[in-house]
Amino acid sequence: MITEHIFELASYRIDPDAHITVNREVCKPCRHRACTFVCPAGCYQWNESNLRIDFAYDACLECGTCLMICERGALAWNYPKGGFGVRFRVT
Amino acid sequence: MKTHDVIVVGAGPAGTTAALRMAQKGLKVILVERGNVPGEKNMFGGMLPHCPAGEKLLPRFHEEAPWERHVVKRTLCLLSETSASSFVFESNRFDRPPYCGYTLYRPVFDRWYAQRAIEAGVTILTGCLAEELLTQGKSICGVRIGRVNGELRAPITVVCDGVISLLAQRAGLRKALEPGDLALGIKALFRLEEREINERFGLVRDQGCSQEFIGCTKGVRGGGFIYTQLQSLSAGLVLHLDSLKKSGLAPCDLFEEFLAFDPVRKLLKGARMVEYAAHMIPEGGYKSIPKLFGDGVLLAGDAAGLCYTNGLNLEGMNLAIASGLQAAETVMEAFQKCDFSAKQLGQYQSRLQECFVLQDMKTYEKSMDLLRNDRLFSVYPRLVGTIMERIFQADGKPRKKFSRIGWDATKEAISVKDLISDLLKGGASLL
Repeated sequence: MITEHIFELASYRIDPDAHITVNREVCKPCRHRACTFVCPAGCYQWNESNLRIDFAYDACLECGTCLMICERGALAWNYPKGGFGVRFRVT
Repeated sequence: MKTHDVIVVGAGPAGTTAALRMAQKGLKVILVERGNVPGEKNMFGGMLPHCPAGEKLLPRFHEEAPWERHVVKRTLCLLSETSASSFVFESNRFDRPPYCGYTLYRPVFDRWYAQRAIEAGVTILTGCLAEELLTQGKSICGVRIGRVNGELRAPITVVCDGVISLLAQRAGLRKALEPGDLALGIKALFRLEEREINERFGLVRDQGCSQEFIGCTKGVRGGGFIYTQLQSLSAGLVLHLDSLKKSGLAPCDLFEEFLAFDPVRKLLKGARMVEYAAHMIPEGGYKSIPKLFGDGVLLAGDAAGLCYTNGLNLEGMNLAIASGLQAAETVMEAFQKCDFSAKQLGQYQSRLQECFVLQDMKTYEKSMDLLRNDRLFSVYPRLVGTIMERIFQADGKPRKKFSRIGWDATKEAISVKDLISDLLKGGASLL
């Protein structure tokens, strides 16, 4: 699985502050939970025991897919601060 | 607080082109880039078709830019579970200058290109995110950057911050993007020896090849691609976001399944995956182009939604460079007249209409709609495979005419009503 090796396949300078935050109150009623499958970095997971979305931003590829598919507007989405985030070397 | 003539946001092909041109013409330009180096945040398939706009800026553009290979061979491959039908086109004409197109690495190309802009006098701020647009009345008058006292002011801001363009939205030039306007591109870079690449793809010297695949995305609208660089291959998928969202499928699973298709697996055998990337692609076509100008602001490149495909041509970078150039010409005219209003900057729209940028977008407006047909990515590639299998298969029984084989297979795969509708739409969009 690519997403399991993502830190070997992309390099990052991780911003201590998250550039994306999930408003779990807003996303609670969502049924499709598309963020849990469309994110190409696998940053969103459905947590069955807590019944909520778990989100980790450190592997984010900054593609914006999650922002575009969330019609509820549950995400405060920004790019990481200048110089932080993913760093493609040869792509 | 510093004052410049022009601020350009984003050191991709659109932004760097605009900055370079304006600096060549004597304007004081500052170019703001969120990556540590230009190109660090890009994802690119792909190939840049021959680019006359680049030559206009730098006379030796095509000789000196850091290309990987010049593309002489284009392949379109229709995949089904059991078969692959390929259309391969090669031309000797594409093997001599001016070449038809090049493969390239964006972190390498963008850095080289930005260096030319610096030589021309552009000030570049890297590792610097343009967070907000500054306004004065209804006019844009600069950007706020994430640094202490981080306000940059100028009479004009050229916004080239890429497909998601939060700034274009904040400037009120565009409504929020919808999944139907976008495709997700995911891609991996594979290392492979030059000799192996040449052998597998039938290439010599620095000849290159592009291969596109359809029928490999489990019915999600989209396709796969492989491009050859000198010592690496780029392989990936482009997936319409609305279709992907509806499918419930994960793009990385689809990607791994794509890599496992026989023809793909053979090309990539023994190649080592070294980098993985994902990016949005504007796929909304002509109708999704935002307002391209406002008071004190212009949009260019992906931020302006300038990107199209007609199934065979995939254009983005060329449109970015050409729109960046037209943005620069528009800004120069505005400085001559000392008028930075939307009315004056509206010249940009006319300029893009006069050149290939908006004309091509318009020409292929309907083909973008055609590519929203689910059957094109599942039913038809499979149908072609079925027909070819039946044509070639010998089973001791008398053979049927091709037309009969074709018609029987077609009837099994698709209703007559759908077929006629697809043929009419296809005809209208491409002929």
